[in-house]
Amino acid sequence: MMFNISAMLEEIKASPYEEIAVRAPHSGFATFPDGLAPGAAVSGPAGEFREKPGTLLACIERERNPRAVTCPERGEIVAVHRELHGSFVEAGTELVRFRHFLSRGEVEARILKKALHLFLAPERARYYFIPAQDIKIKTAGPRSVSVREGDELFIMSRMKRETPLRYSGPEGILYAVYFSHAADVDARDPLIGVCPPDLVEQVEEVVVRVRTEWKEKF
Amino acid sequence: MSGKQHRILIANRGEIAVRIIRACRALDLDFVCVYTVEDAESGHAHAAAEAGPEKRLYRVSSYHDANELLAVADAAGATAVHPGYGFFAEDYRFARRVRQRGRSLDFIGPSWEVIRALGDKINTKRLARSLGVPTVPGSDKPIYDEMEAEKFARTIYEFQLQQGIERPVILVKASAGGGGMGIEEVHDIDLFRSVFRRIRNYASRQFKDEGVLIEQRIRDFNHLEVQILAERGAGRIVHFGTRNCSIQSTGLQKRLEVAPGFDPSAVRYRFDAAALLAKVTEHSLAMAREVRYDNIGTWEWIVSRDGAPFLMEVNTRIQVENGVSAAVSRIRGKDGTDLIAEQIRTALGEELGYDQDDIGFEGVGIEYRIIAEDPDRNFTPWVGRIETFRPPERDWLSVYTHVPSDRPYDIPTEFDPNLALAIIRGRDLEEAEARGREFLDALVLEGTSPSGDKIRSNVAFLRSMTEHILMF
Repeated sequence: MMFNISAMLEEIKASPYEEIAVRAPHSGFATFPDGLAPGAAVSGPAGEFREKPGTLLACIERERNPRAVTCPERGEIVAVHRELHGSFVEAGTELVRFRHFLSRGEVEARILKKALHLFLAPERARYYFIPAQDIKIKTAGPRSVSVREGDELFIMSRMKRETPLRYSGPEGILYAVYFSHAADVDARDPLIGVCPPDLVEQVEEVVVRVRTEWKEKF
Repeated sequence: MSGKQHRILIANRGEIAVRIIRACRALDLDFVCVYTVEDAESGHAHAAAEAGPEKRLYRVSSYHDANELLAVADAAGATAVHPGYGFFAEDYRFARRVRQRGRSLDFIGPSWEVIRALGDKINTKRLARSLGVPTVPGSDKPIYDEMEAEKFARTIYEFQLQQGIERPVILVKASAGGGGMGIEEVHDIDLFRSVFRRIRNYASRQFKDEGVLIEQRIRDFNHLEVQILAERGAGRIVHFGTRNCSIQSTGLQKRLEVAPGFDPSAVRYRFDAAALLAKVTEHSLAMAREVRYDNIGTWEWIVSRDGAPFLMEVNTRIQVENGVSAAVSRIRGKDGTDLIAEQIRTALGEELGYDQDDIGFEGVGIEYRIIAEDPDRNFTPWVGRIETFRPPERDWLSVYTHVPSDRPYDIPTEFDPNLALAIIRGRDLEEAEARGREFLDALVLEGTSPSGDKIRSNVAFLRSMTEHILMF
């Protein structure tokens, strides 16, 4: 399968950011830090393990447990809902909106999503790797796993029921994992991206091109 | 007790939230509901939103976040929390916290001490054994180690062989589980280890606790329940009879319940069914007295083919199936029985106002759990859009549902695909069964999955099972 890397890069360059709404993760009383205003630069988590939180955007307190709401990505503030300061907000209420400029890694991932063979979730459910593969992925990374048609790879968990799920598609290396154990995956959303041997060259080209051609804003 | 004094936060969803709203209205109590984004179209959310100009509906991130629920309780001015079933209903830490926090609230359920004593299968077994109440042979503590588990399983296997059971079966279940989740049978003892590992992994993922219980599987059993209600402060304890919950899916989840538990007037049993019902009721009451039980609760029993009862567990909460016991109970001086309303009244400190002698039983009740699932595929949940849910209207029928009747409803995948409860009343078993079939035939349930397949439901299964009610 051939694809046009230049065209994809140009398409992303035309709209090099995404606007992200930061919402209250749960109900509680909201407060905003002083100085947070539209136009301010904000940073996302940093550190080798993303252990350093991003810029503080708000605080939600329930039952005397304050929870810091930090910026999930770097970017620039577009709006702060300061009218909610000191009031009780329900889960999901928009607190802050910011513009995130795509990094090289994100551009790479977007293009690769079009290049790799995507194995899609058959149903909306929560997914896990089977224990044997899970350990391998956690210790050596996803690319240590090669998959082939019929391999039992996942456990699909829905409504407290668990069903084994086999991989179907071309043989290859598990190149990208698109789900986490903590959240449901919608039907037809990708679970993994597999790189068949004949695509390795093109995938490497994507990585090189993005690294040389994409200029990060911050 | 009045609406001005009390405001109940209903910390649950779906059908049970709908029934609690109904009970609050019957008692003239104010209420507040919570919902998650997946439940925005649920009947309980609509009922709360449409209950009046005052805000009664709050969106939360999860029904599992105690901090958040209590913050909502404060923001909404709630004075009590009703946990429904599941979620926090049997969590004694939550019940204790609700009572002991700075702004104390009433917990609509037993006191935390009682939940701690009986909410755990292992504690219950130990207490039962100390009172001479028979329990299912098996482990009385969670087992984590594979070798220890296999050794114990082989002991139970040998025990069954000694009893003359030709094909012994062992039950492996997640210690922290409930509602039939995380249970598997082992027929070949040499395969025990693989089942143990599977259940342990499941328990770890679903309950964050790898503990596993091992029990003898009682074959061809009847699953009986005794409905108990008690006043606060070690007051009066009464029972609302027995019910039979033996008709279950392959995953040991209840699908059809009948009250009373056995009906010797209509069915011939190999044992003295009336004496057996009296015996399990007396054992249940004795345990309730021992722990100074103080709200609604259910004692769950299995009865072997030869009529031997074994206590399984106690549910220290309201249940899905309480309504079927209410349907055949009459409290002297009251119009109909609503066990949720009785539960709320007693939790708020009211006296029962009646004794056991004031409770009468008449007729037979059948409860159907209408569920979107495929009985031909091991009861796999079906997910899709319900386009029409239209139960018939009859004076012998009550239907409780969170599925709206005036618009389509997308079944959320985050929860069980239960659609409705239907409770049928009849003068006797024959009439109840006939009415049950009439209800199922007249029920209109239509829907399609995202891939365009027609809805799968358990209606046909329930119809076929109606032929076997209360038969051993």
